[in-house]
This record gives sequence, structure tokens and C-alpha cells, in this order.
Amino acid sequence: MSRYAFILAGGLGSRLCLLSERRAKPAVPFGGKYRIIDFTLSNCVNSGIYDVGVLTQYRPTSLNQHIGTGRPWDLDRTRGGVHLLQPSLGTVQRDYWYQGTADAIYQNLIHLRRRRNDQVLVLSGDHVYKMDYNVLFAFHKASGAAVTVAVTEVPAESISSFGILETDRTGRVTGFQEKPKRSDSRLASMGIYLFDRDALVRWLAEDAVTPGSEHDFGKDLLPRLVARGEHVYAHRFGDYWQDVGTLDSYYQTNLDFLAPRPPLDLADPDWVIHTQSADRPPVRFERGSRAARSFLANGCRIAGTVEHSMLFPGVTVEPGAVVRDSIVMHDTVIGRGAVVDHAIVDKEVRVGDGVVLGHGDAGTPNRACPEHLSSGLLVVGKGARLPKDIRVGRNARIGAFTSEPDFAGDVPAGGVVDGPQSMH
Amino acid sequence: MVGLVLAGGGGEALSVLTAERAVSAVPFGGKYRVIDFVLSNCCHSEVTEIGVLTQHAPASLHDHIGAGRPWGFDHRSGGVEMLQPYVTRSDAEWYQGTAHAIARNWDRIEALGAARVLVVSGDQVYRMDYRRMLMVHERRGATVTLAVTRVLPQESRRFGMVQFDRDGRVTKLEEKPRRTEATHASMGVYVFETAALGELLRDRPADLVVDVIEPLLEAGEPVHVHEFTGYWEDVGTVASYYRANLELVAPAPRLELLNPRWPVLTRDEERPPVHVGEDADVEESVVANGCRVCGQVRRSVLFPGAVVERGAVVTDSILYPDTHIHAGARVDHAILDKHARVCAGAVVGWGEPPREPAHAWLDGLTLIGKDAEIPEGARVGRGVVVGIHASFAGLPREIAAGSSLPSRVWYEGMV
Repeated sequence: MSRYAFILAGGLGSRLCLLSERRAKPAVPFGGKYRIIDFTLSNCVNSGIYDVGVLTQYRPTSLNQHIGTGRPWDLDRTRGGVHLLQPSLGTVQRDYWYQGTADAIYQNLIHLRRRRNDQVLVLSGDHVYKMDYNVLFAFHKASGAAVTVAVTEVPAESISSFGILETDRTGRVTGFQEKPKRSDSRLASMGIYLFDRDALVRWLAEDAVTPGSEHDFGKDLLPRLVARGEHVYAHRFGDYWQDVGTLDSYYQTNLDFLAPRPPLDLADPDWVIHTQSADRPPVRFERGSRAARSFLANGCRIAGTVEHSMLFPGVTVEPGAVVRDSIVMHDTVIGRGAVVDHAIVDKEVRVGDGVVLGHGDAGTPNRACPEHLSSGLLVVGKGARLPKDIRVGRNARIGAFTSEPDFAGDVPAGGVVDGPQSMH
Repeated sequence: MVGLVLAGGGGEALSVLTAERAVSAVPFGGKYRVIDFVLSNCCHSEVTEIGVLTQHAPASLHDHIGAGRPWGFDHRSGGVEMLQPYVTRSDAEWYQGTAHAIARNWDRIEALGAARVLVVSGDQVYRMDYRRMLMVHERRGATVTLAVTRVLPQESRRFGMVQFDRDGRVTKLEEKPRRTEATHASMGVYVFETAALGELLRDRPADLVVDVIEPLLEAGEPVHVHEFTGYWEDVGTVASYYRANLELVAPAPRLELLNPRWPVLTRDEERPPVHVGEDADVEESVVANGCRVCGQVRRSVLFPGAVVERGAVVTDSILYPDTHIHAGARVDHAILDKHARVCAGAVVGWGEPPREPAHAWLDGLTLIGKDAEIPEGARVGRGVVVGIHASFAGLPREIAAGSSLPSRVWYEGMV
């Protein structure tokens, strides 16, 4: 039977700071060559789902480019395949942007009209995990659920970041609280919902006209369904799952993959994580290069030292340069003798010769966004050009496309350098 | 212009590396196959109608090329076609030579209606814009144009040598001469006038040079050269194949794979980035996605999925996809085919290379066939050929320099 999945990929990802300033969160680079959405898209095709709608809203350009016709995932099909669903005028009797996750699906119900699937899978494009959705379908059928929510156990201290579910022994959901302060349950919704199609259509139509609703699955729809005794079931997922919500968790989750036993096996031939890769030659190690405990993707050229870091395709580390405990994205060049320590450096950055990124102590939080940058990590936005020999303190934020005139010498800890405003 | 790629060669000289694949399908440069260079040249030169003539062990070539997606050949009209020998009601002939292979498919080629035919060998590594060669061909009004390149005098015996006058018109062709005045070799890249080639193929020639181009030259037809000055290597021998690969790890390589304007395109596998471990020590090497390195690697080329464990040392070697060098093993001056394994503490490329002329073709290298497993603690000398899936049962721990172990079929022991 053919299956259909919606992937929600329109979120702001504001806690990822500069990384998702100019791109949607699912398009944020991850794991040395992937984008976050690759995990969900690959889960779909590896589970035999070849009919996918990706709902975009916030800065979809990089996502559009990345997914394209869907070739890497075998989603460039005569029938089905992948479709990018951006908000449009004339789909409902109003001209709103997507108001919430439920509204996003509601505005795209037309895509279900001619599809003959009994169930509809709703996924999030923000998560890193490997999951066979067939297991979810089987559970859904066996339990007689109208909607099945995939859940995972989270530590007690982080329940306030998730939708928390209470269940009875059969897995039937008896309580649903969005981001509660306290709860006895530690089962968090993974943002993965399997709906009976007819129930979904009915509930979304109802939610659309419910006064006061924010039209969100977690905030409105599911708590209401549970409260009135609909057949809502939870299916427990026991493997690795990560919502890379904040800069710190993004950084840590990436570096977790450098461990001798990484949390997910990216080399599993039976569950390949597919992505759009440019044709790049293998990594070239020059004379005098040192690299250990790191990921280095094709197209990299290493003449300096790389230690406990993740280098995306096309990164150049020039002689005498040192990259340590850092994430460096596509085509960035680390100049001669430069030091990059505890930093996230976005794509196409030029770190001038002799620059020191990550200087001094970590005690001063970022001036502009102390809530995101206070652990000592520093961030450099896409396309920045750092003049040679400057020193940049920890917790600093260097904006995208900054260049020499934007810098007045060294950048202190917690400092901010803003670049040109984006045209839009 | 329609392109024909000659990819049928069995490459006896490459021994166990071409036992189950055509020379054109031999892995190269850490993620490519040799044929990727000419297919990419065709793609970037806007030659998008391609016939690939195959004969010897074509399976891997067919797998690799498929519908030709990586090179953009999968378009609605034209594209890439694999031309394998076939049987008719009146005959059943293998290709007797390059010209014969083309003649057997002439109906198909002529039907494409191109005014010129580009014929290239699939066994060579170079970057060339065929449009410039075509311009020379047109301007001179040639019937056939040969691409030529300067070679060292001592190498003349490997090549068809070409003498030409100041206007670039060919005056003499010599096939693999021991000694010659000619300084340039034919690169195996030709542009023909389609009509003229069709005429000559009627006489059932075998070889393109001996039976087609030489008669043209004798008949006084305009046969011209197009001089090429870039990097070019025919990888038909172990020594030249090894040399071309190792060129990539030289401090100032003459062959640079990182060229965004002329990328070498290939069918890529989706593998995670290179993972270097705690004690990894890699210098002067080319390492592809999917590799895991915890040991030491010097002056070597590692294909996707090669694993070098802790304490293992790999020097001056080529490791094909999914080879595995276990802890403490050593590999020196060797080429390991796919899925070959060197168990803990074993040594490949041990001792001195054999000096006898009979082993000269190996250039002091050790070749390990697909799926072969070098047992724990074994020592395999220099200049040894270990066959595909070869068995070490009943053999001494030390395999002497210059010896060889026969191949076995992969299902041996299962039936």
C-alpha cells in the first residue's frame, strides 16, 4: 500500500542563533556532510515511503536547493516523490501564513483529496534519528488507534521543553501536557504523528474554527483529543533521538559522532542517510598534516592540525593552522597559523592568517544573545571574512558576510560584530 | 559530434585487478573509475551522445555507468548506450579489434546523423576539451585528427608514435617502435569524418590504426594532429597505473582532482565523512568518505570504506573500497582490491622486491585480489600476486617474493 507523509519544515529555529538566521532549521548542516532534514527524508525512503510533502515557510531557499527534485533520496518520481509545499494564497478562505503545525497541514489538505491512503504520517524535519516507520504503522493498526504519537523517554529535568504524555498499560494516552513544569511522566512526544486520514481531516476542520486555538498539534489538537477520550495511543521509541534545539545541543550532538562508538551508525549499509553531495574529490592530507578524533568530508584539504572537530566538504586548513573542538562548514578556509578553538564556523568563511578564534576566558556571555551564547562557544556566520591576525574572544558572535571594515581590531569575549543587513 | 568510448580491453597487464573487470572500470584516485575521466571530458565538452563499446567483463562497467546520470547523459534523446558484442542470424563474432567493434555497431552510430565521430580510449587519465580538438579538425579540413602528446624517448615502445610536419599534418605512424625520431605518441583520441570512416569500415578492418588510419595516410588523405600538453597517462600497466594514482599525493601534483571548473564526475556512494580516530596519523594521502583511520597512513590512496585500525601502518599503497587493515598489520607498496582483509599483525609487501626480469611487470608491487584474506601473522613478500578469494590453507606463513596464489570462485566450498 502506498503511504504519504507530511514533513513539517517551516520552523524558525531561533535558538540556533546565526546558524538558522538565513536558513530553515531542517536545512542546517549536520554530521559533517548532511542537513538535519536528511535523517527524516532518509527514514521515509528507507521505510518504503516514496510520497512526501515538505511544508516550508521560514526562509525556504536553502531547503529548496537541498531537496531539489529529490534525487538523492530516489524521490524524483513519475508518481509521488517529494513536493515542497510553501504557503500560498487561495487555498483556504483566508490568506494566512501557516499559524501552527496543525494549520500547516490543514492548509494542505487538498493534497490528500486524491490520495487513497488510510493513514497519514506527520513528521518533523528537525530531528536526528533513525526510525523504521513501518513499526509505527503496525502498532497503529494493532492498537486500533485513531492517532498514534511516537514518544521517547527524556530526562526529568528537560520535560519542560517537550509535550509530555501519560499513558495506561495498553499505550493509550490518558494525559497530554505541552511543556509542563512538572509531571510524573517522562514520555515526550517526538513530533511524529500517525493519523487515520478521515479522523485527521475531521479534526483539522474542527480545529480551524475553534476559537482561541493556536492551531498547533502539541498545544491544542492533541490535548483536546486526549481530554475528550479519542483513541490516542503512544508508541515508545527506544533508540537514539535528538532534537537539536539550541546552539549548545547542536554543538554537542555533532561532536558526539566523533566518539569511538557514535550514537548513530552513519555507515550502516541497510539504513543509508542520503544527502545531496556535490562531486568533490577525496580528502587530501598534505605533508605535515595532523588529524585525530575528527570527521573530514570529501573535498577537504588538510595541511595543518585538526583535533576533535567536524569538517564539512571543501574545508581547507592551511599549514600551521589548528582547528580544535570545532565545527567548520562547507568551503571555509582556515588561513596559515590561525587557531580555531571551540567554535562553529558557517559556510564559505575566510579565517585570515594568524587569526585566533576562541581567545581568553569563557565567563562573559554574549552581549546580544546571552541566552544562546554563554558556554564558551563562539559562532561565525556564513561568508564572513576575518581580517588577519585578529583575536576573537569566546562567546562572540561574528555576523554573516562581515568583512574587514566591520572589524575594529580584536573582538572581546561576548562581543558582537554585525555585518551588512540582508536584503530581506 | 557523437562519442565512442573503447572500453572492451581486458588488460592482461593488470593481472588480478582486471580478472573481473574491464581496464576502464578499474578504481582510480580514491573514488573514481578510470573511465570517469573520458566520460567527464565528454560531458564538459558537450558530447552528450555516447556509445561505450564493451567486451571483457563488462558487468562492473554497466553497473557504474547505468543510465549515465552522474555525467548528465540520462536525457530524453541520445544519452549513453552500452554496445556489447552480439549474435546475428548469419554470424556470432566477438570484437576482433577496435575498428571491428565500431564496424559491428556502425548502423546504430550512423543513424545518429552526426557529421563527426569522436573515438576515445576509456583506459586513460587526462582532462581535455574535445571541442578544441574539433575546431582544429574543422579548420584544417582533416579527414581524421589524432590527439598527440610528448612522451619520453624510452617510453616509445609502449605507444603508437606519430611524426608530423610543421602544419600538423601526419607524415609517419609507427606502432610501438623500440627506437624512433618521433617525439609524440598518439593518445588514442581521434576525430573522424563520419562518412569517410563509414567507407573504410566496409572492408572489415580489425584495428583502427593499422587498418583504417594507416591506409588513409597512404592514400594521401589529410590526417592531422592536435597537440595536447596537459597531464595524460595510459594506465594499462601496473607501473603506470600505480604512478598515476601516486601522482595525486605528490607535493605538487600534476593531476589535480580539485577543479571546480572541470570536476571529474562519478557514480558516488553515500558514505559518511572520513573518520580519523584517536591515534590516527595521516600525511600525504588521499582518503575518501566512508574510510575509518586509526593507524598510520603515508603516500597512499584510500577508497570509500577502507579501514585502517590502530597500530596498522599503510605506506605507498592503494586500498580499494571496503578493504580492512587490522590492528598492527603492515601494508607497503601494495594494491589491495575490494573487500581484501589483512588480519592482525600480518605483513603485505615484506622484504625486498624480486629482481628477476620475469617480475619486472609488477614494478616491485604486491597485488591482493578481491575478497582475499591475509591470515593473522602471515608475511606476504613484495612482487606477490594473491588471487581473488585466494586460500592460504596449507601454505607457509611466509609467501616468498615473486610467487603467486591462484584465484578461487567466490562460491567455492558452498557447492
